[in-house]
Amino acid sequence: MTVQTILQAGIAGALTGGLYALMALGLSLTWGMLRVINLAHFALILLGAYLTFELATRAGIDPLLTVVVTAPVLFAVGGALQWAFDRFALTEFNSLLVTFGLLIVVVQLVSNYWSADFQRMSATVNPYATESLRLGAFAFPLPRLLAFLAAIVLVGGTHVWLERTYSGRALRAFAQDRSIAAAFGIDHVRLGALLGGVAGGTAAVAGMLVAVDRPLTPSSPFEWFGIVFAVVILGGIGNAVGTLLAGIAVGALAGIVSVAWSPSTAPLVIFSLIIVALLVRPRGIFVRGGA
Amino acid sequence: MTLGRGLTGFAIVFVVLALLPTVREPLGIPVSYLVFLGLVWFWTAQATSWNILSGYSGYFSFGQGAFVAVGAYTTAVLFGRHGIDFFLTIPIAGLLSLLLALAIGALAFRLRSLRGEIFALLTLAVPFVLESIALINTAIDGGQGIIVPLPDYPDALGSFQDLIYRLFLAVGVGALAVAFAMQHSRLGWALFAIHDAEEVAEGLGVPTFRHKMFAIGLNGLIAGIGGSIFALQIGFVAVQSVFGLTVPLFVILMSVLGGRSHWLGPFLGALVIFTLQDRLSASGFEGWSLVILGSILATLVIAAPDGLHARLRRRPWPIVAAFMVPIAILWLLGVWGEPLDWVLAGMTVGAVVALAPAIRRRRIAPGPAAGIEPDSTVVSPLDLAADAPPRPADDMVKGPHGSDAPVAAGSEVIVAELAASLEAEPARPGPVIECIDVTKAFGGVRALQGVSFSVMPGEIVGLVGPNGSGKTTLVGILSGFLRPTTGDVRVGDVGVVGLAPHAIAHLGVARTYQIPRPFASMTVRDNVAMSLMFGRSGDSLEVARVAAAEHLEFVGLLHRAGARPSEINLHERQLLEMARALAQRPRVLLLDEALAGLNPVEIDNAVAVVRRIHQSGVAIVVVEHLLRVVNQLATRLVVLEGGRTLAEGDPGTVMRDPAVVRAYLGTAADA
Repeated sequence: MTVQTILQAGIAGALTGGLYALMALGLSLTWGMLRVINLAHFALILLGAYLTFELATRAGIDPLLTVVVTAPVLFAVGGALQWAFDRFALTEFNSLLVTFGLLIVVVQLVSNYWSADFQRMSATVNPYATESLRLGAFAFPLPRLLAFLAAIVLVGGTHVWLERTYSGRALRAFAQDRSIAAAFGIDHVRLGALLGGVAGGTAAVAGMLVAVDRPLTPSSPFEWFGIVFAVVILGGIGNAVGTLLAGIAVGALAGIVSVAWSPSTAPLVIFSLIIVALLVRPRGIFVRGGA
Repeated sequence: MTLGRGLTGFAIVFVVLALLPTVREPLGIPVSYLVFLGLVWFWTAQATSWNILSGYSGYFSFGQGAFVAVGAYTTAVLFGRHGIDFFLTIPIAGLLSLLLALAIGALAFRLRSLRGEIFALLTLAVPFVLESIALINTAIDGGQGIIVPLPDYPDALGSFQDLIYRLFLAVGVGALAVAFAMQHSRLGWALFAIHDAEEVAEGLGVPTFRHKMFAIGLNGLIAGIGGSIFALQIGFVAVQSVFGLTVPLFVILMSVLGGRSHWLGPFLGALVIFTLQDRLSASGFEGWSLVILGSILATLVIAAPDGLHARLRRRPWPIVAAFMVPIAILWLLGVWGEPLDWVLAGMTVGAVVALAPAIRRRRIAPGPAAGIEPDSTVVSPLDLAADAPPRPADDMVKGPHGSDAPVAAGSEVIVAELAASLEAEPARPGPVIECIDVTKAFGGVRALQGVSFSVMPGEIVGLVGPNGSGKTTLVGILSGFLRPTTGDVRVGDVGVVGLAPHAIAHLGVARTYQIPRPFASMTVRDNVAMSLMFGRSGDSLEVARVAAAEHLEFVGLLHRAGARPSEINLHERQLLEMARALAQRPRVLLLDEALAGLNPVEIDNAVAVVRRIHQSGVAIVVVEHLLRVVNQLATRLVVLEGGRTLAEGDPGTVMRDPAVVRAYLGTAADA
């Protein structure tokens, strides 16, 4: 095994990490800002992926352009979900249970409609899957490169939104102290629905990129769980930029471990990493003053 | 004794139900019913074992599938592949699953920052990690699956289905018996206390880590044994059949539906949910069963989180009637379905009648009733219904409960008992508790800088200082909740830095909290009984509940013994804090602003209680803002400012100290 193989695995892994960061972004923001652990976020990603698959194969739309349709749809779904969580005043913990139920419902519905078998867009529909960009000795698989770029754009966008705009600042104020924020006239129901919608939109993008990159099966969310939550926790709950950094780091590590030892050890390594992270820096690795 | 009688009852239930296969043919019951009932017992065992950890202690686990899978694969590999005797593989399966559970617990429960949500997510990841290991490793599965053949067993055990039924029955009834026994012993109460307020429980002497390990261990053991028999029942073990999310979904749904705070809840839930699942797949709706079950879970958590058992307890007859009437009607008409369908119809109507009123009430009064308490400091990860769930408290010990029979001369008894327990310890010169040159830093903030502080036997030390001067930090360090950055803390001769708070409590240090933190699901009496069970007396459950009355009388709270903490006022809650601390039989009592927010009459009353405690010889540290009170009570005063000792000595002198006056009133220019 050469250094180059390992580097190549690290690069491919880091790019995949961008996809994980994209999946984790919405989850992390709603958890940190709204105190909802939204397992149904995985259901939205799954729906996004299958909608892309459906639109591309049935209607012949370029898979990358399907987000024009899926993002608004999932924005609406995500916003409505968050509104409902607010309406029923779910506690952080109960949100975990309710959304677990919702996730199971969606996975089963997807399985009933699209079958439990693997689905993959044909090469004519999805020319991106097999392409890659060559740079010197290294190859960058196109779908993952796209995911990586999308992650940077969306993470950067949400970061600017939260830091610079009125609604973003209001959300952060709400995350820090709900009652004080409410006393200052922050309408958390509308802002919450907005953030839920944004999370839904990122789920649509993530789902599209999943569909472009790999075959789909209804049980995919359960494969994402471990690694995505690792990214959320390591990045610091509610921290967009931390999520991106954690995604890249975890992805690169998983890629290298898979090549250096065997693919089966990757989940173990990542799982151990979460535990170590929780032990050492409970508020996340990529957070200033996280200890 | 409740416990003994109950366990005999379980033995009788087991023997009677184990006769079913023998009388099945004469009674004309088809074999499919036997299979059905066997699986009901399997799920009962799974849901009950899950509930011992997640329902009782509140640490929700999504990892049940991992325990079932370890059990199933142990039997599949050892018996199916290597031909080791099936009955031998059952205990091995249980043991391996137990070890996995303990490994998870040892890692997770050591995390200082562990919250319920993080624990749930950690357990969510475990089955997936194990699944990937099983898939890759050809010695376990390798993606092929393993055939589990029929085992050899004595003919006396009947047909294969009879055997499976009886094995499942044994595990199911066994699990219920364990859950019952826990609820009727100190063990279960420790878990309930952890559920309500973990840190408080630790502080009054509950070794919380050990209890959580015990709970997760039982969860793993029972689930693993069940999984082992399940492998035999399905005959072919593959990753899809044991690892999927069906197992966690089922156990969570069954427990939430049935009720998590009582041993019977998961059994009720298992009956209903498994009947529903069975009927759905029998009618060709297999693809929809998860859709329906998932929706039920989401609805239940929002609308009726306290579950069927609590509702049945409150008004059993309408619910039983709603269950029986549809069955009777369908049976008499005899036009639709088979008996199990009728039962399902009855269960559905019964469950809807039981749970519906809550839905209606919620609609009328939305908002706070649903209970958003994001910043509640109580470490209680799951939020049970707003209306207090009936805890074992209500039905356990018949005698003293509810009847507020006056206890003869309770106060003197307590003073005498406390004095006696103090005398029983070897008399020793020197302080009961001291800290030497203690520094505590939180990140960059130095809350304490080189504080030395000691309390002599029989003293009342007033610890005063402006806000942020480090008083509460010092109390936290003395009681072991905070670890000093540098410096030493000694209780008597024992260095206690690094000891768990419960161990320090057992050395005789008790504390109260600035904001009272009672165990919300227990009565006032049982709050005090917790201290008697886990403090230095180590009483049994029944003794403790009787003795608790004396302590309540001592602080003047006996008339509220049967009330829930949510029903008493702030003053009463602070008295409860004192009664609970006193019941630990402390040598030193740390009162952290026990008078905050009280009116003058209540303050005088509380001061009188403190004096009475002092008469027994217990040393007291009074952390207080109210100088009037401290001056009245304290034999010595320690003033903190900015994390340093500003002054120390007898109250009169200290209060005239110019530095102290400045700290409190500001400099002359400001005054």
